[in-house]
Amino acid sequence: MTPRESFDVAVIGGGLVGAAVGFGLRSLGPRLVIVDEGDIAHRAARGNFGLIWVQGKGMGLAPYGTWTQRSARDWPRLAGELLRETGIDVALGQPGGIHVCLTAEELAQRVAALEALRAQPGFRRYAVEVFDRAGLASRLPGLGADVAGGTYCPLDGHCNPLKLLRALHAATFRAGGAHRAGHAVTRIVPRGSAFTLETDGGAIGAEKVVLAAGLGNAALAPMVGLDAPVRPNQGQLIVLERVPRFLALPLETIRQTDEGTVLIGDSRQDVGFDESLGPDVLAAMAARALRVFPALEAARVVRAWAALRVMSPDGFPIYEQSATNPGAFVATCHSGVTLAAGHVYAFAPAVAAGGLPESFRPFAARRFAMRDGR
Amino acid sequence: MNIVYDLAVIGAGPAGLVAATVAARHALATVLFDDQAAPGGQIYGPPTAGQNVRPETQGGDIRDAALIDAFRQSGATPVFDATVWAARRREDGLYEIGVAYGAPEARSVRITSVRAVIIATGALGRPFPVPGGALPGVLTAADAQVLLKTTFIDRTRRFVLAGTGPLLWRLASQFLDAGIGLEALLDTTSRGRQWRALPAAWDFARAPNFLRGLAEGRAVRRRVQVIANVTGLEARGPGRVEEVQFVAAGGTHVLPADLLVLHQGVVPDINLGSVLGCAHRWNDVRACFEPIVDEWGGSTLPGVFVAGDAAGVAGSDAAEARGQIAALAVANALGRIDARARDVAAVRPRAALRRALRGQAFLDAVQRPADAFRIPRGDTVVCRCEVVTAQDVVDAVRLGASGSNQVKAFVRCGMGPCQGRFCGLTVTELVAQECRMSPDAAGYFRLRWPVKPITLGELASLPSSPEADRAVARGMLS
Repeated sequence: MTPRESFDVAVIGGGLVGAAVGFGLRSLGPRLVIVDEGDIAHRAARGNFGLIWVQGKGMGLAPYGTWTQRSARDWPRLAGELLRETGIDVALGQPGGIHVCLTAEELAQRVAALEALRAQPGFRRYAVEVFDRAGLASRLPGLGADVAGGTYCPLDGHCNPLKLLRALHAATFRAGGAHRAGHAVTRIVPRGSAFTLETDGGAIGAEKVVLAAGLGNAALAPMVGLDAPVRPNQGQLIVLERVPRFLALPLETIRQTDEGTVLIGDSRQDVGFDESLGPDVLAAMAARALRVFPALEAARVVRAWAALRVMSPDGFPIYEQSATNPGAFVATCHSGVTLAAGHVYAFAPAVAAGGLPESFRPFAARRFAMRDGR
Repeated sequence: MNIVYDLAVIGAGPAGLVAATVAARHALATVLFDDQAAPGGQIYGPPTAGQNVRPETQGGDIRDAALIDAFRQSGATPVFDATVWAARRREDGLYEIGVAYGAPEARSVRITSVRAVIIATGALGRPFPVPGGALPGVLTAADAQVLLKTTFIDRTRRFVLAGTGPLLWRLASQFLDAGIGLEALLDTTSRGRQWRALPAAWDFARAPNFLRGLAEGRAVRRRVQVIANVTGLEARGPGRVEEVQFVAAGGTHVLPADLLVLHQGVVPDINLGSVLGCAHRWNDVRACFEPIVDEWGGSTLPGVFVAGDAAGVAGSDAAEARGQIAALAVANALGRIDARARDVAAVRPRAALRRALRGQAFLDAVQRPADAFRIPRGDTVVCRCEVVTAQDVVDAVRLGASGSNQVKAFVRCGMGPCQGRFCGLTVTELVAQECRMSPDAAGYFRLRWPVKPITLGELASLPSSPEADRAVARGMLS
């Protein structure tokens, strides 16, 4: 297939990762293209809970904690630029966030786990406060009687992930970047130092290619000498109708959106590419949410859905440049909102410059090969 | 509580009543669920505050009573005041139906397992997006029927009806019967359509509903100013509707109005089938999605059948016939009768169906609303739940949304409590037009539970499972 059109950089995937990388490369203008699938696809970006979450992240890979903190700190800049360039307010709030523990046992485990996390060599420490029931109740009006306590981290926050996705696309579009929907990539063919993407909508040529196709990366990566052994992990979400504002800050599994709706998440199930809902899981989620905020009992559920997280074997992101095809990069993670600012201000510029700096080395997929003894 | 029924019939209109009756007579353990407090569905039963409307002009009381009697004697289990909010296919091939039942203050929820499903959820009002259509005082036909039945109406208010289709005229009659005058009936049926429909008119003239409709039309015309070939319809405020502007007979006119009822026909209620995963297809004559069904009403999912207007709007006579045909197919599929007995028993309902469908092609052609009334522009509100305009949808497409679901993710249309019932078809057609693709390619919203709202408390009252608890109790660190 001969490409009908060619670009300097092709980003494969129009989800949160691809859109953020695209936004970070928007100064390329018309030399940039985002290549995306059609209307029905496994789109984690549509099922996102919307947290910008730091606390608890990085157990087993200290640099992931650092990377997450960096992105959270850069988030106000990202939200400001998006507002300026598109007029879209992505409803960023970083008032800190709370992980609620229903029992004393849960709280003790949580505190111990956070201690172990922060004791890791090379871990960049941040403040975490532990609240007992009274401390938590003073911050969360309407808290259920049998909640034992929780942990608070001031770096945590949330935004509206659908507005984020739209704003990233809108800004890239305004800067002249191209977008090709309905172009699911079936094959990437290296041509010298460049690439031809064979897609459902015709071939596209590119000097550099960024694999940001979520679960699709698993199949695409080997075509350019990369490895992205990602698997789906199902999460279910419940959305309640708009209710008067009662939550000033996000909890890890319950948050009130800027629109007033309440999101309840999130379950984790390894069920393959299954996006169907289980009533038992929804029931368990609902029951747990009611123990935290009993007053939500009468709120109407307007929607529930399942989406697929993009999970690597150890749960951490994969960022890597191909050794055999140096114009090819991969970016994949399950925290497209939290890490959006990192993708915009660190990953995308590195792609533009032609190579990933040392700080990305811990995220190379080589770590799985070492672990497997390959 | 944990018994497995052979068949769940959803909807107690003519299709559902007949289907449940026939199934029970063939010794199928049958349960019938309906939102309302009594059988009859939207045609024979009382109107409800839901979005659904009575799609047909006829409704002979004697036959309705006979249908209900036959159902009551059939041995099928009726569950009224029962909202079906979820449905799914299990890995073992059984279907689970999530039902909330009982009085609103003390509803219980449960999951019922069944071997087969007949969806007989009927039709709902087609979206009618016009400028000002989201103003207070603009009602759907269903809203208006609720108003007529359940509340005191201020007779000094000025009512205007606008749109097309038999229900609009039926509604005008109901207003007149209730002693309420109408300022005008604005008929938006387009002149061109009537000529295009002419080849099908002979069949229609022989159709059973024709004379009834004709008489009703004459009676309304005697007492109400009827304005034909209306285009450019607009409701104007500011705070609520105060006047209706429209174009007719070559000029722009303004009528004062306190309430404007908009109705332009009904379309199948496809939400439950969509949630289950049945495939649907765009019907270009009727400009709506319909489930893909075989000659027995069988959907693309084994054991799931669709009967009545939910399978394609055709009125109550067709609904009864289709209900019977689908029930026979289920009886055969579950081994109660062999294929021969099924085919023999289906001869009469098939003949009835042919008779009922006579003239349908004419109605379909005449009633297809003009493009301008289906595909709005500019700041006309498309999605009322989230206040999304036609321009918002077009902008989302220009940003790269290539189908209804990406538009939904970008602008939230279809995310409100109505689950897209008010905007789904409009968004599909807007996307199709903007992307120059077919409505099938533009697609329809992927619908989610709950099909109809339930409360968090009701959801929490469902049984959990150890696996579910493990899935939800979060790992200590992420």
